[in-house]
Amino acid sequence: MLLKFVKSREFFLFMFIVVFSLAITVVNPNFLTVENFADLLKSFTVLGIFSLGVLIVLLSGGFDLSFTAIAQVAQYVVVYFFVEYEVDNVFFAIIATMVIGALLGLVNGVIIYYYHITAIIVTIATNSIYIGFLYVITEGELLYDIPESFSFLSDTKIFPMVNASGAEVGICVGTAFWFLLCILVHLFIKHTVLGRSIVAIGGNQLSASRVGFNICRTTLFIYTFVGAMAGFASLIQCAVFQSVVPNSMVGHEMEVIAAVVLGGASVTGGRGTVLGTFLGVLLFAVLSNGLTLMKISPFFYQIFTGIVILLSVSVNALQDLHRKHSQVRVQVKED
Amino acid sequence: MNEHVKRRSVPRIISENFVILILMVAVYLLMWAMDGHDFVAMNNLSSMAYQLPILGLLSLGMMIAMLSGGINLSIIATANFNGIMIAVLIKSMAGGSMLDASGAVVLLCIIGAFICSMLVGVINGLFISLLKIPDILVTLGTMSIVGGVNVWLTEGYTISDFPQSVLALGNSTILGIPSALIIFVIGAAVASFILNRTSFGHELYMMGSNQQATRYSNVSLVKVTVQQYMLSSFFAVLCSLVMIGQLNSVKADYASSYLLVSILAGFLGNVNPFGGFGKVAGTVIAVIILQFISSGLNLMGVDSFLITAMWGLIIIVVVIVKGAVPKIKKARLERKNSN
Repeated sequence: MLLKFVKSREFFLFMFIVVFSLAITVVNPNFLTVENFADLLKSFTVLGIFSLGVLIVLLSGGFDLSFTAIAQVAQYVVVYFFVEYEVDNVFFAIIATMVIGALLGLVNGVIIYYYHITAIIVTIATNSIYIGFLYVITEGELLYDIPESFSFLSDTKIFPMVNASGAEVGICVGTAFWFLLCILVHLFIKHTVLGRSIVAIGGNQLSASRVGFNICRTTLFIYTFVGAMAGFASLIQCAVFQSVVPNSMVGHEMEVIAAVVLGGASVTGGRGTVLGTFLGVLLFAVLSNGLTLMKISPFFYQIFTGIVILLSVSVNALQDLHRKHSQVRVQVKED
Repeated sequence: MNEHVKRRSVPRIISENFVILILMVAVYLLMWAMDGHDFVAMNNLSSMAYQLPILGLLSLGMMIAMLSGGINLSIIATANFNGIMIAVLIKSMAGGSMLDASGAVVLLCIIGAFICSMLVGVINGLFISLLKIPDILVTLGTMSIVGGVNVWLTEGYTISDFPQSVLALGNSTILGIPSALIIFVIGAAVASFILNRTSFGHELYMMGSNQQATRYSNVSLVKVTVQQYMLSSFFAVLCSLVMIGQLNSVKADYASSYLLVSILAGFLGNVNPFGGFGKVAGTVIAVIILQFISSGLNLMGVDSFLITAMWGLIIIVVVIVKGAVPKIKKARLERKNSN
C-alpha cells in the first residue's frame, strides 16, 4: 500500500513541489510564510475550481473548452443585474452564477450527446458563441461596481491570524470553498453511482452502457457540472479582482487543462484523481510564485510552464511504456 | 453501391464536398443579397483575397495534424516564432536596423528561421510518436514553450520595419493577383499533391484510420508522424511570411484568436476529428465560407465579435444538419420499404 503510494503520480508531484519550495525558500525566505501561502492559494483558487470541473470532463473522456466563456457570461450577468436591482447577497449570487453556468453547460451536453459530435468541436463553437454575444450585447464594457457582500469570498478569513505588523492573514473563504469542493468531488467520484459511471464511461463507453450505466444522464450531468463550477469560480474571480472584464478569463482554458493533466488525468478518459489535480494546480501556483520571488523575468514563466508540462507527461508516458513492457512480470508478482 | 461509384459522372471534388459547396453558394448569395453591390465589388474581393490566406494556411496546417486524429495547438506559436526569428536574425546580422540588410542576408535569415520552425515540428512528432503522448498534450507543451520563447525574444514588444524584400513575399501583386493568395493556392496544391499522390500521404491517412494496422504493415509511425508535424509547421511558416508582408511587424500574440477557428475550419471542411479522413479541397472551401461570412458581415458594419459568434453558430447548425440528414434518409427508406 505504502509502496504503491510512493510510486504514484501524486507522490511524485508532492515531492516535486516540496523540493521546489525548499529551493525557493533558500533563495528567498519570504516564500514560506503564512501570508505568502494564503495569497498564493487565493490567487489560484479560481484555477483550482475550474480544474475540478475539467477533471470531471476529462475523467469521462470528454473535453471542454467553453468553460471560461461560460464563466465570463455568468459573471457578467450576475454582477450586472445585482448592481441594477441593488441585490447585495453573496449566497444568492453563488446560486445564480452556478445556475447560469449549469444551463450554459447543459447546452453543450445536449449537443454533444444528441448529435454525437466530438466535444472539442462543440465546445470551441459554443465558446465563440457565448463570448461573441457577450461582447455584442455588453459592447465590451467593464464593470467596476461590484456588490460589497462579494468581498466575503475574497477578504473574510477563516481562522484569522495576526502577523508581526498587525495585519490579518489566513485562508480566505473562497479558498476554503475550493478545499471543500475538492473533498466533495473526491467523495462524489469514489462513492456515488453517478461518480462511478463517469469514470466507467471514460474507461469504455460501450462497456459502461452495457453494464447499465445511463450514458445520457451522465453526459448531461458532466457538462452541466463543468458549467456550474465555472460559474462559481467566476464569482470568486470577480470578488478577488473587484472588477468584471469580459475577456479576463477567456483564452486561459489551456492553462487549466494543463494543470489537470499535470495532476495525472489522462485526456483519453478514465484516469485522474482530485488529489492529483489539486497538486497540479499547487505546482503551477508554486512555480509562478517562486519565479517571481526568485526575481526571474516573467518572460520565462511561460517557457517553464511548457517544460514542466512536457516533462510530466513524458514521465507518465515512460511509466506507461515501461508497464506495458513488464506486464507479464507484474502479473506474476501480484499473484 | 459499387455500381453507383462506377456511374458517377460528377468529379469527385464536387461530390465529396457537395454539402459545403451548397453552403458556400448559399452564403455567397445571402451576403450578396444583404450587401448588394458592395459585396461583389472589386474592393471587397481584393480585401478578401488578402485576408483569406492567413486563416487558410493555418487551417491547412491544422488539417494535416487532424488527419491522424490529433491537433496541433502549437501552430500559431510556430508561425509567430518563425516571424520573430526572421526579425531577430536579420537584426543581429545587419546590426540594428533591419532596413539595411542585403538580399543575401535576408534570404539566409529566412532559411535559418525556417529550419528553427521545422525543428518545432520535429520535436512535436518525436514526442508524440516515441513516447505515445496524446498530440494535444505535446503541442500544448510546445505551444507554451515556443510562445514563451516568442515573448522572451520580443520582450512583449512589437518588432516592425521589415526590409522590402521580406514584405514583397506577402504583400505584392503578380498580374493583379495578391502574392499571398498565390502562396495559398500553391500551398493548397502542394498539400493536395503530397497527401494524395505520395506514399507519405497514404501512410498518413492509414495511420489516421488505424494505427495498429499501419504499424503491422511495416510503416514507421515515428517517421510518418515527424513528417506530418514538419508539414504542419511548414504551413505555419508560409502563414508567417504572409503575416509579415501584411502587417510589417511581428509580435508574440498575433493571430492567437485563429487557433480555435482553424480547428473549426477543418471540421467544417469534412475533416474527421478522429483522423483518417479529410481533403484539402474541403478545408479550402470551408475557409472560403468563413471568409464570405466575415467579409459580408463586416461590410454591414457588424461587430467583429458577432462574426466570431456567427462562425460558432454556423458550426453548430452544420453539425445538427449533418446529424439530421442520415435520419431523414433512414426514415424515407423505411417508408419506402413499408410501402
